[in-house]
Parts: sequence; C-alpha cells; structure tokens
Amino acid sequence: MADFAIEMKNVSKELGRKKVLRDLSLAIPKGSVFGLLGKNGAGKTTLIKCALGLVRIQAGGITVLGDDPGNLHEDTKQKLGYVPQSDRIYPWLSVKQIINYTASFYSHWNDQLVHSLLNDWDLDSNDKVGLLSEGQAQMLMIILALGHEPQLLIFDEPVASLDPAARRQFLKTILKIVSDRECTVFFSTHITSDLERVADRVALLKDDKIDFCGELDVLKDEVKRLRIVAPVDISEELNISGLIFCERSHHEAIISVRGFKPEMKIAIEKQLKAEIEVEDLNLEEIFLELNR
Amino acid sequence: MKNKAKYYFQINTSSGVPIYRQIIDQVKTHIATGRIKPDTFLLSVRQVAGELEINPMTVSKAYSTLEKEGVLGYVRGQGMKVKMKSHARADLKKRERELIPLLREVKVKASQLSLQPKKVIDLLKALWEE
Repeated sequence: MADFAIEMKNVSKELGRKKVLRDLSLAIPKGSVFGLLGKNGAGKTTLIKCALGLVRIQAGGITVLGDDPGNLHEDTKQKLGYVPQSDRIYPWLSVKQIINYTASFYSHWNDQLVHSLLNDWDLDSNDKVGLLSEGQAQMLMIILALGHEPQLLIFDEPVASLDPAARRQFLKTILKIVSDRECTVFFSTHITSDLERVADRVALLKDDKIDFCGELDVLKDEVKRLRIVAPVDISEELNISGLIFCERSHHEAIISVRGFKPEMKIAIEKQLKAEIEVEDLNLEEIFLELNR
Repeated sequence: MKNKAKYYFQINTSSGVPIYRQIIDQVKTHIATGRIKPDTFLLSVRQVAGELEINPMTVSKAYSTLEKEGVLGYVRGQGMKVKMKSHARADLKKRERELIPLLREVKVKASQLSLQPKKVIDLLKALWEE
C-alpha cells in the first residue's frame, strides 16, 4: 500500500445506465510521472474523479496516499493537488486575491514558487480571473495546485488549452518538481507527444478497462509494426500471437503486434521464408494502433 | 570535478526508440568514437534531464543500465565515470553492424527514387568532404 500513491482495485462505476469503468484495477507507484491515455469519452475524467472521491463508485476499493477517497483525512487533503479539466472559479477575484484565498486553506504555502511561476507564465497578479483567456485560466489553476507543494498532483487534461510554448513551460515545471522532491504526478491527456517527454509510466483506458499499464519504454518495445515480404502467397496463413491489425496483399503484409520480442521476427521469417522489417512506433502511433 | 564530459545528447522524443535507449546508444557511440574518453565523468542525471527536458528517471535508467553493462562505474559523490576503454579497431565489425539499419533505409529510399548505388556512394562522399 505504502508504495502506491493511488491504488484502485476492481473498481466499477456507472453513470446512469452506462458502465464507464468495469472491474478496473490500477496502481500508481509513488514518485512516478504517470500518464493516463484514452480516447474522448473513454472515462479518463471519471476515473480521476473516482480516485479523488468526487464521485462514488459502485464496486471495488480505492486508496489515495493510503487513505479512503470517500472520507479523506485533513492531512491527506493537504498533500493533494488537483486541477480539473475546466474550472473557472470566482471570476470577480483578481489573480492575487484568488491566490491568497487558496493559500488560506493550506498549512504550508510556497509563495516564492507561486510568484516565480506567475512570472514564468506571464500572468499579471492584478488581472481579474474572469478576463483571463482559457489557456491563462488553466495556467492559473495549475499554479494554484502547486502552491502547497503537494505529494500527489493530479491533472485532468492539463495542457488541453495551452499553446505549445506554455505546454513546454508546464512540462518543465513538472520535471523540476519531480527532480527536486518526492512527488507523484498523475495526469490524463490525449496529447501523446507531451507524455512521451515526461512520463515514465502510462496506462491506456479503453472500453471501460485498462488495456495497458506499465513503463512507457516497455510499451514502445512491445508494440511494433512489421512489414513482411514473402516469396509465397501469405494472404491466408498469418497466425501471429498478439496481432492487432493486419493489412495484406499476396506477398506483402503490414501488421501491428503487441507483445513483440526479437525472437518473434526470426520465427516468422523462418515460417514464411519472408523478409521482415520491424518498425518502431512512437506513442501516438501506438495509441492509434491500440485503439483500432 | 574536472574531466566532465561536455557533449550533448540528441534526443528525439517522438521516435519509436525509447528515450533511455537513445541515451545508451549515444553514450556507447561517443565512447566508441573516442569523443568520450575513459575516466571522464558524465553529466549528472539532473543536468541531463534538465537540459533535454525529460524525466530524470529516464536518464537514471539509461545510466544504471550502462553501469550494469560495465560501461560506466559510479563513484560516490562524483557521479558516473566511463570505465570502458574505447573500442579498438578490432571492434570494427560491431561498429559496422550499427550502421547497417540506417544504410538499409538509405537503400530503400534510393531505390524509390531510382538512384543507382554508385550515385548514392558519390553523394555520401560529397557529404563527407563538406
């Protein structure tokens, strides 16, 4: 338990009559930068809300920093930072006022950090929250979640409305935090290029379940595209374990597989007397393949 | 703290090759070509991660893999030191093998463009003399 920042076991969640999460288990190791991937509507936001106890689950169990999300201790709340997908609170307050207001809820607040972030991200502390652009409001929400230096940071689509420069700034900030102190970062996204840079672990949410969960490097090693050119007609006889997708004509096939191992290439080459080229896939391509 | 290797890794984050493996490959290549000499200290995990804007865990995974392979050795308080001697000429075969996949790509592209091998070699020579 102590090794995981968030642990979900056999969680089921229905929204109305729709099963959003079904018997889902997920463990997020402490100290990891963990990316949750999934198509629109896959249930990423619901999963995050369950983990935070913002919505009740129908079955299963969840712990957050060893605590029950349905009944979080005051101490645990002080260690959590959460930025929802879109949330614009108190438009009549100025940036400065909302920072002071937020700080008042926490026993620890790093004012220096907050100010340097405001500076990095070109936010004026006298501006009214209601007048900020979508992206600026998102930056402000992120800053507010960092001020009390939480042990666990949870972001729901943190970079959705940020421009590329602000996205980079965000990633830099995250990297600085995780290299300076013990902190777990859990975030959902569908922008895979960001994930690739910072995440050490990823989970793919698909059809109310976790389809893959583990190290990003392992995922990249295991999902490959193979180009097969065989001297014989191979349009019928392809029996390959872990096949995700296959496109073929008489002598050629392009297939994508999961659970790839170098031995596999040799085995198929022998079996079909074929020439095979193994293509590495980046996270976006893997995401597309696994969501076919 | 002298002898710190000053070089940059070229990382492509949207490549299919895991970032830690890109770092491993590049350390080995730099050693093989003598750009990093034995007994040099590599930049710290934090420095590399900060410079490349990538997760420090990725860098430390690369370093510890290299340590396991006997390429690097950890020196308390000073960091990762290059243990391996640079590849002698005897390793020519191995170095050649490393180039094969890239050359294969060149071959594919060249035949798509219907360029003869001789032409490709000429082009390569010209690049070399640039």
